[in-house]
Amino acid sequence: MAETSITFELPVTPEKVADFALAVGEDNPIFFDEEAARQHGFPGPLAPPTFTVTQIFQVPREERERSLGANLDYARVLHGEQEFVYERLPVAGETLQGTMRIANDFVKEGKRGGSMRFVTYESTFTDAEGALVLTANYTLIETSKDADAR
Amino acid sequence: MTEPAEITLDAITPGMDLGEVVYGPVEGEDFVRYAEASGDDNPIHQDEEYARRSGAPTVFAMGMLNAGYLAHAVSDWFGGPHNLRRFKVRFTNRVWPGDEVVCTGKVVAIEDGVVKTTLEARRRGKGPEALGLDEEQTAIIGEADILLTS
Repeated sequence: MAETSITFELPVTPEKVADFALAVGEDNPIFFDEEAARQHGFPGPLAPPTFTVTQIFQVPREERERSLGANLDYARVLHGEQEFVYERLPVAGETLQGTMRIANDFVKEGKRGGSMRFVTYESTFTDAEGALVLTANYTLIETSKDADAR
Repeated sequence: MTEPAEITLDAITPGMDLGEVVYGPVEGEDFVRYAEASGDDNPIHQDEEYARRSGAPTVFAMGMLNAGYLAHAVSDWFGGPHNLRRFKVRFTNRVWPGDEVVCTGKVVAIEDGVVKTTLEARRRGKGPEALGLDEEQTAIIGEADILLTS
């Protein structure tokens, strides 16, 4: 039986923030150095804008599928779009509360025959005070069985 | 490390080009590092054999790695990541080992102190011989909203 949402914790540790920042080539001290972050009014290093993709560590694909039940055939799935809407960036040292649900699920007929199914997973992240930090929309595209392989 | 220059709203005009930032060339080791930092452990990005069995001539970059570079570029154009209010990407082509990721952006409007931009990340390189790709292709089409003070 599919559920309507999954809740999970997302730890934002200084180590994970630094590893992630390095992996996307960041060299701004605001991601690494507490003093640099303080100068901008933040209590600790900021997480890079795309950091919350690390939620996959907390909710692996299999668990997401089992709980939310989109029934996607991952042999035909592409990451189509990704959107982040920020109130603020996460700060190293905090733990965010995440809630994920399917916000959109529709089929679009292709111009050259075949159809594409768009499934958007919306994750909202709140802080210890319950305030919204950011929303992430993860959109997968499932191509139809007869479509040409890309 | 480099801290980006501070920027205020008066320095921005609609239509202005934000510049060009080049990352890479990206290689398999960058994909491995991003996999470890992000939790995206899909073997299609790391395992040559697996990639070939899945119909790709070799491994290719995670879309979110390229998006991470683009978020890095837009953060640096606007004085740091903390000014970002929205970041959205649509993935249009894969990025292959040996490719550079060329990030560009343009201001489209300013609404209530929020700078609206369009972004692009292009792959530049030979690509896998079997695919006979153009030297440059759009890998990501994006948008970002940035809140600046005057």
